[in-house]
Amino acid sequence: MSIHVSSCGGMRMTDQEAIELINTSLAEEFELDPKRLVPEAHLRDDLELDSLDRVDMVVVLQKAFKIKIREEAAIRQIRTLGDIHAYVLGKLRGPQ
Amino acid sequence: MDKTGPIEVPIEKILPFLPCLMTLYVYPMIVLLTLVSILIFPFLFVVYKIFTRWTDDRIMRALIWLYGRVWLAGMSPFVRFVREGFDQAVLLPPYVIVVNHYSFFDTYCMALLPFHNIAFAVRAWPFKMFWYEPFMRLAGYLNVEELKLQGTLSGGAKVLQSGGSVLFFPEGHRSRDGELQRFSSVPFELACETGIKVLPLCIIGTDVLFPPGRWTMRPAKIRLKALPPIDPSDFEGQDRHMKLRKHTKDLMARAIAEIQVER
Repeated sequence: MSIHVSSCGGMRMTDQEAIELINTSLAEEFELDPKRLVPEAHLRDDLELDSLDRVDMVVVLQKAFKIKIREEAAIRQIRTLGDIHAYVLGKLRGPQ
Repeated sequence: MDKTGPIEVPIEKILPFLPCLMTLYVYPMIVLLTLVSILIFPFLFVVYKIFTRWTDDRIMRALIWLYGRVWLAGMSPFVRFVREGFDQAVLLPPYVIVVNHYSFFDTYCMALLPFHNIAFAVRAWPFKMFWYEPFMRLAGYLNVEELKLQGTLSGGAKVLQSGGSVLFFPEGHRSRDGELQRFSSVPFELACETGIKVLPLCIIGTDVLFPPGRWTMRPAKIRLKALPPIDPSDFEGQDRHMKLRKHTKDLMARAIAEIQVER
């Protein structure tokens, strides 16, 4: 995995660190077994997170990364944990 | 000539049929109550409008509360309702109210509350009940799945600023095993952002009355207990909403366990 350094609330972190923070935050919020948090994990089928849980997911990610997440098409396309990783990393890197 | 008097049936012979009798009574009672309410709603709305000067959404919440009160009366042949912790001197709405969730009838039981100005924040599916939906919209109920986070927070803040309370079932689903499920962070985020206190409510007995997965009802004693309001300013840090959430859930779990031991 390429090592990018992103800025998050004044802190700089690598992609791997950001992914670990995403997984830790989601595991704590949704009381998930960290072993289940693989990129291919489907939010609904594997992690049993429904549309209401997505609302909480936004709270968690906003707090963890100090970013604002608005309802965009990209959010609605999220299906797997890997999609969440890609979305947040994209937000942290900012417009290219 | 033989003397005949009233036939006395021992209560033990009636008890096995009580759930069946109750179910055959309650469904038509609710349908009739709803139909009559829909018919007289315009008249009551105008009366409230003339005599109270309340906003439309507040009037609707009062009418929904009244509907709930009539439902409570209608259920009283089979259900005993008890409420505790509602000392009027202590309760000063508005609040962000959080309630545990066992049954479809939990929302109806909120008519036990001594105040009516409450907007419910719920999932999308209750809005699909077309006979209730217009009234829910007029009352300013929040469809959390439709509004998403920002919409729910701003809609909830608007209700709170106008003096209304916002009620959440933070588990999001009815519990199937009696245990408290994971709590959503949204109500606690709302409380932290607005500074409005959280009022935890524990409801017991609706799981006996009408649990998920069953279509028949059973006589029950329903208790609604209000725990002391919790001030979000007592919690600090970036994750204060999570601390508030955890604290509230722990208090409710303990209270529910105590009530269940007593019953």
